[in-house]
Amino acid sequence: MKVIGKSLLLAASIALAGSVSLAAAQEISGGATTSVKPMSSNLGAVTQKRLDGADMEKTDWLQVNGGYSQTRFFPGKQINTRNVKKLRPAFIFQTDVLESMETAPLVVDGVMFLTTSYNHVYAIDATTGEEYWHYIHPMGPITVYCCGPNNRGVAALDGRLFMGTLDAKLVALDAKTGTKLWETQIEDPELGYSETMAPVAADGKVLIGTNGGEYGVRGFVKAFDAETGAQLWTFYTIPEIGHEGVWATHDATGRNMLRDIAAEKRMLAERGGGFYKTLGGGVWMTPAIDRETNTVFFVVGNPSPDLYGDIRPGDNLYTNSMVAVDLHTGAYKWHYQYIAHDVWDLDAVSPPILTTAKGKDGKDRKVAIHGGKTGHIYVHDRQTGELIRFSEAMIPQENMWVLPTPEGERMLPGANGGVEWNPMAVNEKLNLAYAANLHQPMTYHVEPAEYPGGDKLWLGGAFKVIPGEEQWGRLAAVNIDTGKMVWKADTAQPLMGGVLATAGDLVFTGEGNGWFNAYDARNGKKLWSFQAGAGVNAPPVSYVVDGKQYIAVAAGGNTQLNFKRGNSVIVFSLP
Amino acid sequence: MKKLIALIALLAWVPHHALAQDAEAGRKKAEACAACHGIDGNSTVPQYPVLASQTARYIYLQLRDFKRGRREDPLMSPMAANLSKEDMLDLAAYYASQKFNGQNSRKTDGDIERGRAASDAALCTMCHLGGFSGQNEVPRLAGQHYEYTLKQLNDFKVKNRTNDAGNMTAVVRTISDEDLAAIAAYISILR
Repeated sequence: MKVIGKSLLLAASIALAGSVSLAAAQEISGGATTSVKPMSSNLGAVTQKRLDGADMEKTDWLQVNGGYSQTRFFPGKQINTRNVKKLRPAFIFQTDVLESMETAPLVVDGVMFLTTSYNHVYAIDATTGEEYWHYIHPMGPITVYCCGPNNRGVAALDGRLFMGTLDAKLVALDAKTGTKLWETQIEDPELGYSETMAPVAADGKVLIGTNGGEYGVRGFVKAFDAETGAQLWTFYTIPEIGHEGVWATHDATGRNMLRDIAAEKRMLAERGGGFYKTLGGGVWMTPAIDRETNTVFFVVGNPSPDLYGDIRPGDNLYTNSMVAVDLHTGAYKWHYQYIAHDVWDLDAVSPPILTTAKGKDGKDRKVAIHGGKTGHIYVHDRQTGELIRFSEAMIPQENMWVLPTPEGERMLPGANGGVEWNPMAVNEKLNLAYAANLHQPMTYHVEPAEYPGGDKLWLGGAFKVIPGEEQWGRLAAVNIDTGKMVWKADTAQPLMGGVLATAGDLVFTGEGNGWFNAYDARNGKKLWSFQAGAGVNAPPVSYVVDGKQYIAVAAGGNTQLNFKRGNSVIVFSLP
Repeated sequence: MKKLIALIALLAWVPHHALAQDAEAGRKKAEACAACHGIDGNSTVPQYPVLASQTARYIYLQLRDFKRGRREDPLMSPMAANLSKEDMLDLAAYYASQKFNGQNSRKTDGDIERGRAASDAALCTMCHLGGFSGQNEVPRLAGQHYEYTLKQLNDFKVKNRTNDAGNMTAVVRTISDEDLAAIAAYISILR
């Protein structure tokens, strides 16, 4: 029935256009929303009040990482350590796009909103998988992006959904119908700007960063008016003045980064600081927001070019940093840089989490934490940015910080981490942060290369995995009061996707080989697994409809690690 | 009805490869290219690349680089010298919209498994995508002539070809000639 209804509708639209020629049909498919089943009358608007309560929300999943704190913790405990072994699929929703899936679906009043690669959006019944509508973004002629045509989800506010697109637009859709309400060009895709992250909506604004650290962009976080799409403010992650910083010789953990500061200073004197326009500093993942102080927290990615540092002297602020800015104005509050003048692409990607942890004096402090590609979890004071502590390394480290050479130097972790973009989760009752890690031994190679104009990948070298050396993944549980790893669960393949924690004392994460697993949050014992048939490389979510708890995750594989592609969101419940 | 659905499903994909340029105009302009690249971009001569199904973005940037002298070839440089931006975009749109016919020069007696392993180690598909299907400015390589691919890899290695922003140069520098040949063989059998 579903298919017939849809095809009739499409046929009708094509007939209306008066032509089945390619160009005409393309116009129809571009930007078209097809509807299949009437939208559920239960769907209400996601008000600011609901978003402000999302961290404690017991039924819906209103933001990609749960709420503004991004703990990815669901308070429901219907599914728990005792009964999780009975968990089985409730339905499988197959999208039209067979490509890498990194989406975290939202669930609002029993309606699920999910995205795919190439910026499709679906609204489906979160209990049956029946489709309400399907939106296909009319992609512009120029897209320039690294690491796959991914999309990581939408933000919701007041009946609208917001999505960033590969051609660097911000699009607002009517949540009920999927109709496009407005779109805004965020930046010029021809210069390497693109969007894969989920925006965050707060206080009438939609906040979004940018990809492009592999193309020589100048990174930013921008705020747009949620009603009109008008731009409100821009915070550039690369300041025009002062990006050389303090000429730090050591990283956040106190290790010498072997910089030749004298040579860098000579280069800066010679070239000037004008390279700020191409210094990179993408913001790949959704910011966290502290609504009490209206502070926005995000992490900034690598400088451009990734591995060739000679032509970008200085600390390259605010690359590889956590940054806090004012929600209303975008004004700078503080930053903390983990690695100055990075030449390994071991940057900061995984989204910050707001929680509490013990300060050095043993008293509870409000903190912002970040899981680094270095394999450390960094714990900051939320007010000042002070680094309270960093965790022990969750994965093997070797030879840090050897400088890349033309022939390649072996160093661990490899350039994908540690913790890649994978969102972590926190169980505050147990004081544990859960991080999905990669172990990929690599060699780092440098190759001098000038800015190629924004339309070509600009790495200034390469990183390669070492044949014969084992790669694996590790789900690590870290006590953020002590920085100690409390347990670890190793997996056959590097982990890419993200973590969900629940009040049922469970932790969920997926693997590239198709296994989707539930672990005991207290000790890491694997309690349940499901073979999805394609890589499970997306952050899981949980929600409740009509008193029944569900777990949902996308199984679409992954471009970056070339895990088997799929096209599905799989939803689980107890029988 | 099924055809219509298929058409729509296909169209969801087409825009990423075919720019909103005039592929039809490109078809006429491509007549000058047919002697080497084939009428539909399915070149039958191993030293000239298959262009059918190549990404439009890559074709455009390479033509532009030939014209600007950033990439050099005794045959292509003069061909590109007089092309306008519109010409280049039209040609790119045309070849991107053509279907690869699977008749490329393959190296079936090459060490395919070795090539696959070497390409895994070099993380080729992180940029070229799974199956070497290409994306945007990163070319599709699946089904490319063995001889052409191998020449490009060698050109990157000895820096005869330098219009890659250093990426490929860095990648191939430490790959042995035997492994490069195996990678080219592996790529040639992909579809």
